[in-house]
Amino acid sequence: MKVNLNVKRFDPESDGSTRFQQYDIDMPENSTVLDALIHVREYVDATLALRCSCRSAICGSCAMRVDHRARLACKTKVTDIVSDEGQEITIEPMGNMPVIKDLITDMEVHWSKVRQVVPYLRPTGPPPEREYIVSNEAMLDVAGAVNCIQCGACVSDCPVLEIDKSFIAPAALAKAYRFTGDPRDGTKKERLEMLSNVEGGIWDCTRCNMCVEVCPKDVRPMDRIMQLREQAVAAGVKTNTGVRHGTSFANSVRRLGRLDEMRLFPESVGMFAVPRLLKELPGAFRMLWSKRLMMWTHAIPFAHKPIPGIKHVRRIYDQARSEKKEHSK
Amino acid sequence: MATFQHDVLIIGAGLAGMRAALAAQGEGADIGVISKVHPVRSHSNAAQGGINAALEATDSWEEHAFDTIKGSDYLADQDSVEVLCKEAGAELIALENMGVIFNRDDQGKLGTRRFGGAKKARTYFVGDITGQAILHVMYEQMTKAQESGESQMKVYEEWFVTSLISDGERCLGATVLDMRTGEIHTVLAKGTILATGGFGRVYEPSTNALICTGDGMSMAWRIGAPLMDMEMVQHHPTTLKGSGVLITEGARGEGAYLLNSDGDRFMKTYAPNAMELASRDVVSRAEQTEINEGRGIDGCVLLDMRHLDEKLIHERLWQIRELGIDLAGVDVIKEPIPIQPGCHYAMGGIKTNILGETPVPGLYAAGEVACVSVHGGNRLGANSLLDTVIFGRRAGVAAAEAGREIDMPIAPDSTIEGEQQKLQALLDRPANDEKIARIRWDLGISMDKNVAVFRSAEGLDEQQEEIKKLKARYETVPIEDKGKVFNTDLIFGLELGYLLDCAEAIVLGAITRTESRGAQYRVDFPERNDAEWLKHILLTYSPEGIRLDYQPVTITQWEPKERTY
Amino acid sequence: MKYAFWPGCVSKGACPELYDSMILTSAKLGIELEEMYDGNCTGAGVISEHEPELADVLNARNFAIAQKMGLDLVNICSTCQGVQSMVQEKLDRDEEHRAKINAQLAEEGLEYKPGLVIKNFMWVLVEDYGLDKLKEKVVRQLDGLRCGPFYGCYILRPSRILGMEEHPERDNYLEQIIEAVGATAVDYEGKDKCCGFPILTNNRKNSLTQAGTHIASAKDQGADCLVTPCPLCHLNLDAQQPSAAEVIQRELGVPIIHLPQLLGLAIGIDPKLLRMNRHVVGTQAVLDKVLATVEA
Repeated sequence: MKVNLNVKRFDPESDGSTRFQQYDIDMPENSTVLDALIHVREYVDATLALRCSCRSAICGSCAMRVDHRARLACKTKVTDIVSDEGQEITIEPMGNMPVIKDLITDMEVHWSKVRQVVPYLRPTGPPPEREYIVSNEAMLDVAGAVNCIQCGACVSDCPVLEIDKSFIAPAALAKAYRFTGDPRDGTKKERLEMLSNVEGGIWDCTRCNMCVEVCPKDVRPMDRIMQLREQAVAAGVKTNTGVRHGTSFANSVRRLGRLDEMRLFPESVGMFAVPRLLKELPGAFRMLWSKRLMMWTHAIPFAHKPIPGIKHVRRIYDQARSEKKEHSK
Repeated sequence: MATFQHDVLIIGAGLAGMRAALAAQGEGADIGVISKVHPVRSHSNAAQGGINAALEATDSWEEHAFDTIKGSDYLADQDSVEVLCKEAGAELIALENMGVIFNRDDQGKLGTRRFGGAKKARTYFVGDITGQAILHVMYEQMTKAQESGESQMKVYEEWFVTSLISDGERCLGATVLDMRTGEIHTVLAKGTILATGGFGRVYEPSTNALICTGDGMSMAWRIGAPLMDMEMVQHHPTTLKGSGVLITEGARGEGAYLLNSDGDRFMKTYAPNAMELASRDVVSRAEQTEINEGRGIDGCVLLDMRHLDEKLIHERLWQIRELGIDLAGVDVIKEPIPIQPGCHYAMGGIKTNILGETPVPGLYAAGEVACVSVHGGNRLGANSLLDTVIFGRRAGVAAAEAGREIDMPIAPDSTIEGEQQKLQALLDRPANDEKIARIRWDLGISMDKNVAVFRSAEGLDEQQEEIKKLKARYETVPIEDKGKVFNTDLIFGLELGYLLDCAEAIVLGAITRTESRGAQYRVDFPERNDAEWLKHILLTYSPEGIRLDYQPVTITQWEPKERTY
Repeated sequence: MKYAFWPGCVSKGACPELYDSMILTSAKLGIELEEMYDGNCTGAGVISEHEPELADVLNARNFAIAQKMGLDLVNICSTCQGVQSMVQEKLDRDEEHRAKINAQLAEEGLEYKPGLVIKNFMWVLVEDYGLDKLKEKVVRQLDGLRCGPFYGCYILRPSRILGMEEHPERDNYLEQIIEAVGATAVDYEGKDKCCGFPILTNNRKNSLTQAGTHIASAKDQGADCLVTPCPLCHLNLDAQQPSAAEVIQRELGVPIIHLPQLLGLAIGIDPKLLRMNRHVVGTQAVLDKVLATVEA
């Protein structure tokens, strides 16, 4: 099978510029992108630098951008990317991190964030005589996060991290869930408060699903972040706008059966957060004016008409919430 | 170019290395840890199935020890096995307390699965990612230890060790290449612990990661530490065709069948009681026999999990299901997966005692790089993770304790210069058509042909000749990359040198041992011969040639018996 | 061609121009819509954050309503699509869960049975209606109009639940539609990234930096406008655009067009009826180009 790689090269010992280099090689059917890159390095161009080791998606070394998306090269077949033989495959280093050489990045960006979430179990109380007694369900629940191999693919492609370097980013947050979800850890609330209130914490995730999409190990980091938010709310961590936003949203749907976007904002920011609200006023007026929206419907509560089946929606709410209460007892 | 000093230097940051570091820190030592990859990239990750310990009231350390010794085909030193099995329970609990999310039973206590060669279910596990789960927890503990500041612990990531420093008697530390800058440094230490893992890449295919190149064995050998039982190379019964990627024994532990081309569970012929859960050497030979006698399918037999509960596969074997889909295009829930025996593990290695000390003062070894010997002729599944943590801890403690009595060594001024010249000479070699990768490939393929599951005098002699030729080719192979930053070409060149040393020792061991025991099966000597060969083979390097020594196996309470499953 | 039409909250609230243009455009294309007046909000992923079980029941209720109507469900919102697909995947896979959810619907006489077809209008156009048929309806070739596609996260990710295996080109439909009506699809960095809307209240700076960055990158590639199938993206990209411009300190002024508006223009509907004048960022530059084409 003809394979045509277009590899982004960077040699820190030359003039510091990047360039793309083409490698046209022959590979067996079923080859992975890593097989192809190793072939290049071994037989075509020994100066090509990349990290790789296990070849089976366990060690996490070979994350890189293949066809503009972070993937493990060892888990990506050439035919996953191209449908026609010889079609070009673009290979680049991961994003959101400095490049050291060719496809090798400096992952300290990631590891510093891992350290930020206090990445080790902190039991409180006297140690047990033998093992901690915990349910298998609890262990399986955090197993999804433990499955993370710290390859950095989600860090590479996280759009929030792109614009805000303080964001703890998906992998480290998934790691955080591995501890808040572990019944053996005695510092759950402390962790959740930190994760809620710190700059770049759990409420800064935009829920864009990019990390879920690129994760090669089905860790679904964003889902872990959502679990962290749920835990934070349940633990009574209430200081954050994000918590109020969720409450306001849900209440709106309970009241009307649908969302009232115009009330969402003041309720999320906090009705008494006057300076912030004033800052938003021009934007709100701009929209109301240009869209010719009826201002009074938004100014007066309950002016929006509920949907016909609102009583059923409210019943569903009350049922779900009473069950949840029951469950948490 | 700089010189660093530590009480204890640990080379390799897999499970054995990190466990050693934590133990040495517990003793108050100042520690340096060097690894050619980030610690969580280490090959301990690849251990899928579990870790053994006799914890249940219905089990005992003696039974675990007996299974281990029988599995070793009575080549294991029984005093070492006793340590391994007696300390297993406490170590397992320590791992759980550190945060490993071991599988639980209905009462929330640790739950087990069955594994090959064991009479009792004593394998504790995290799905089929046990090694990864433990490795990452160990790294968490390293992070915690570094933050605690109890004693200095410095981790040098992506540093490649080029040589051990010796004054002709003691090991004084190591010379290293900082892969990121290309600079050479020396790290001096009162005690140096090798935890560099195995040499699996000597073979092609192999379950081992590309980094498993026998670095520690070769470097220790070069300063006079003896290698022991190097011929004992485990071939795992279930590896994927082509790539050699591992499919856990846990699959059979959970009830998977092995089928030949007739759809028969052929293990009934070879191990009527244990069936698929006989020890690995037995199962691998059975598979190879089926394949050789024409009952294979394209060089493979089949591993069948279709009868297992789908939920069980999702909860306990999720990773191999993914590997099957990604690398073989087979969903094990729906189809049997073709597998074959493949190179997996080195039972042999640097000779150590139960403290991790090698015969070279100041040099310690633990984990796969070492031969203590708890695995003898054949390692039981789920005993390797146990080996790393038990003997990693012991080596860490021993090196830290010994360090209290010793002054910091001084290396001769010429050390760095000599190493630089050696590497520069490699870089300056004239260009030719030879490729490092081609020599490595030829080595792997020929080892797989001549020194795998079945061995013969002819094949081994042929391989010995082949290695001579490969070594000659290696003397002139050029390093094409001349750069300093991440010159991986240079690294591969150095690794190939390590691999060739290991291969030479493996073949010499296999030629010497004229019997069949454990992983060493000689078609020309098909019987185990306790009268002559109940002993270890030690190979010691010197510039004049390799010296052969023997050492009797330590027997405590289990007299060798016939081995059936 | 008839569908149960789920308009979503925003098209009936802050983006009435989307609702109006959808009604007119589909009618002219010959796509019949029966609106689900009694449908409820999907929760936009926000409710599921805190009360996942509740979100499942709310969505199952909508599905059951569509099934009672005996029609496939069409939505006009990337976010609705994502949430609906996510919940549907869970309900279809897990029988036990489904039974539990259905028990709560029973009181209203509703039941969800697996297999409902749920499609965003963009998917309907390519897969059910067909681009060739669409091309036949075009009376104003939008030649010369350069459109940057902006998908919205939930119609792209996670691809596993969005039918991408069966329809691998779903991440390219917007470009295909833009080209089908004669316009040019502009490739730019941010087309499949997040608009920032979900964190507008929580982290205004990040939210608007995202919106602003994507608009700017499209503008740099020569886009006259962005086209989106997601009204939530529209809120951040259009209504917040002047604020986003301030945050990233760049002039923007790039009109943001709803997908049905683009189609409406191409098939000859009066821009006023499409409410092209009800945008925060004025659309006159787009109309000038389009109307110039007509006159030529």
